[in-house]
Amino acid sequence: MGSFLKLLHRQFVVPWQEVVKTIRHNGASDGGYFPVLRGFFVQWARFNEPKHGKLVGTDELGNKYYENNRYFVARNRWVDYNKETWNQMWDYNASQVTPEWHRWLHYMTDDPPTKVPPTSRPFLIKHKRNLTGTKDCYVPYSTTRPKIESWKP
Amino acid sequence: MLRIATQKCCDQLPSRFLPFLSTKSGAAVATRRHQSTDDKVEVFVNDKPVYVKPGSTVLQACEIAGIQIPRFCYHDRLSVAGNCRMCLVEIEKSPKPQASCAMPVMKGMRIKPDSDVSKKAREGVMEFLLANHPLDCPICDQGGECDLQDQSMMFGSDRSRFLEHKRAVEDKNIGPLIKTIMTRCIQCTRCVRFADEVAGVSDLGTTGRGNDMQIGTYVEKMFKSEMSGNVIDICPVGALTSKPYAFTARPWETRKTETVDVMDAVGSNIVVSTRAGDVLRIIPRLHEDINEEWISDKTRFAYDGLKRQRLTQPMLRNKQGQLVTCLWEDALPFVAEKLSTTEGSKVAGIVGGFADAESLICLKDLLNHVDSEGLCTEELFITDGAGTDLRSNYLLNTTIAGVEEADLVLLIGTNPRFEAPLFNARLRKSWIHNELEVALVGSKVDLTYSYEHLGDSTTTLKQIADGTHPFSKRLKDAKNPMVVVGSEVFSREDAFGVHAAVSAIAQNATVTSQTNRGDGGADWKVLNILHKVASQVAALDLGYKPGVDHIRKNPPSLLFILGADGGAVTREDLPKDCCVVYIGSHGDVSAPFADVILPGAAYTEKPGTYVNTEGRAQQTQAAVSPPGSAREDWKIIRALSEISGMTLPYDDLEGVRSRMSEVSPNLTRYDAVESANYFKQAAELAKLAKPQLVSKPLQSSQLSLADFYMTDSISRASKTMAKCVKAANEGLTPDL
Repeated sequence: MGSFLKLLHRQFVVPWQEVVKTIRHNGASDGGYFPVLRGFFVQWARFNEPKHGKLVGTDELGNKYYENNRYFVARNRWVDYNKETWNQMWDYNASQVTPEWHRWLHYMTDDPPTKVPPTSRPFLIKHKRNLTGTKDCYVPYSTTRPKIESWKP
Repeated sequence: MLRIATQKCCDQLPSRFLPFLSTKSGAAVATRRHQSTDDKVEVFVNDKPVYVKPGSTVLQACEIAGIQIPRFCYHDRLSVAGNCRMCLVEIEKSPKPQASCAMPVMKGMRIKPDSDVSKKAREGVMEFLLANHPLDCPICDQGGECDLQDQSMMFGSDRSRFLEHKRAVEDKNIGPLIKTIMTRCIQCTRCVRFADEVAGVSDLGTTGRGNDMQIGTYVEKMFKSEMSGNVIDICPVGALTSKPYAFTARPWETRKTETVDVMDAVGSNIVVSTRAGDVLRIIPRLHEDINEEWISDKTRFAYDGLKRQRLTQPMLRNKQGQLVTCLWEDALPFVAEKLSTTEGSKVAGIVGGFADAESLICLKDLLNHVDSEGLCTEELFITDGAGTDLRSNYLLNTTIAGVEEADLVLLIGTNPRFEAPLFNARLRKSWIHNELEVALVGSKVDLTYSYEHLGDSTTTLKQIADGTHPFSKRLKDAKNPMVVVGSEVFSREDAFGVHAAVSAIAQNATVTSQTNRGDGGADWKVLNILHKVASQVAALDLGYKPGVDHIRKNPPSLLFILGADGGAVTREDLPKDCCVVYIGSHGDVSAPFADVILPGAAYTEKPGTYVNTEGRAQQTQAAVSPPGSAREDWKIIRALSEISGMTLPYDDLEGVRSRMSEVSPNLTRYDAVESANYFKQAAELAKLAKPQLVSKPLQSSQLSLADFYMTDSISRASKTMAKCVKAANEGLTPDL
């Protein structure tokens, strides 16, 4: 009997609990209109699959890292990219993941940087996303001498 | 090389004589006067009858029959040496194969160039030549255009019996232009004969004999000739190659563009080799009436000046007085604004030596549209008397090829050796073959041939004009006299006086020479002006004012400078508020004081029309595209006219050229010498204007070889030319 109830619970209750948790989890916290509904739809549009989970940490760029072991491995850790501005909300890129979180996100380690902080080195610079296609993108320059030398006044 | 040689050979065949028949040097004679037209000798080449002029060689008879005889030492513009033995052919009744280049034809001679004996003789000679020739074709600059390579494939044996060591020869340093790898030399002595006969500088020679024979200068010194680069072309192997072009490209990689040179007013025909938008070298193109197959060193080697000091972006002078780069969209409206707000009489234009006729006509049309008449050429000429109204006043009327018919030349105030090296080469050719006599009034310089120096005083001119000078007698007796005035005399204050005196001399000589020839009014022109810059004749044809006097007298508020870098006008000559617009290719003399710079194209980058000093219109072709944002000059002016609301009624090259032919039809009759007339009237008009002569001596500015190399904005930007000047002044150093 107990196992039958468990089955019923798993079949009919847990999914609704998950929906409610997911909706709550994804609610917007920016103080705008309809935060619960709007946040949910925004996340749906960004992720295709709204999830809920435990916030593991936030990196220096404002990306939030979540874990929920209810999901399969490879879907149980994810990143919610920083969405402070409208632009950031819709223009995000996998290269925004900082290197220290990259290890945890890709299962190279089970210890997130919040638990085992990375060694800080004086030469480490702040992580930047890939700027290809933007006006700040890297442009290679020729190292050969130009065929025509221009006159300089 | 061989193909060119063949064509020439067929053209020039009748006029050739053998060295021992020649009178003055030992060279083959080529004159129009000595030609006969009818009597011919029948010879048989491979049993096929051929009719040739008596005195032709067996080699030439074979050429007429369409058979190529291989040769190394034979070159039909040089004397016959006969030392390479490659042209051996079998002749019937002759015990041994004969060197066909030195063997005159005889009646009924049976020549067998394709017989087994001939073939075996060639194979044998080729084997001997290759015995001492290094097998370094893969690293040789001549590879791909080497006569030895080609002929060993065509006529050589297919295997080698050679086991011994090869001879090695020390390389010679003969200047910054020619690279020597003397081990490759096959002692054809073409370079020695070129230096002796065409260049007139006996710097090269042979030392030693047999296996130890070497070509060189005996002591290390520069090959001091203004035409030295031609030995690179005539060298059949890779012994003499171009130093600036060394290890740059193979001939099959390059794209060749047939165009015209503008470094002097002769208008030599050239081929520009380019690869990937880069001018790699310039070599001559055959034109019998202009440059034959030679070009001057400035023509050949100044091309690296096309890659330095270039104007590649439009520039505007900012408030701090600095020139900063900008866009065409900024520069053109700025100039258009100035043009439409400035009064017509305050607008002027100066054109320099590299301006093509297309940009000249555009600038003239635009400035005439705003009612400006201040269109001047930088190069000076006379304005009094007939001035530039009569075309005969400013042309080399006899033409360059006409020199070969002349018997007496009077040069006045010029040094043709450096002002027009190929004209001087013609004079030298006639001096050798036709006993041409030359006299010079002006600076005593080395012209590479002997001449009578009549001093440098203007009194001499006056005396010759009066008939009181001893030289007048000789001028009077001459059948085909020429009087050649250098354009430098027009920078004197008594330019008109000199021109009038020269016109008088020429007019007298015209009359007497007609009587001497006994042909009444035959078409022999005596008066010749030798210009120094390529654009001058076209500019005068289009109605530009010679000299910048007009601009000095009417200070402009807006001045267009079209590539004028001779320093005729400086900032000090102009009012403070004058806006100077420079349109040109190089940042040289004028660009630093300009307020707006509109980058133009150099002569290898645009199809343009240039008229040479004899009045022959020729066109350049675009070998590469203009660098950066630079554009063809006439297109800049056309764009400017549209922005300023005075659109010129043509927008393509065809349109511009049809406008040019409206103004002066000769400008689009390409490669035709449009001759001029009214010498008598010009001389009379000159007398009416009361010419004056001052006692200042007639001098030329280019006296020694060092003065030759850097004369204009392109050659001043050239590193090769700078090295030449250094070597000519200070002698050779290992780095040159």
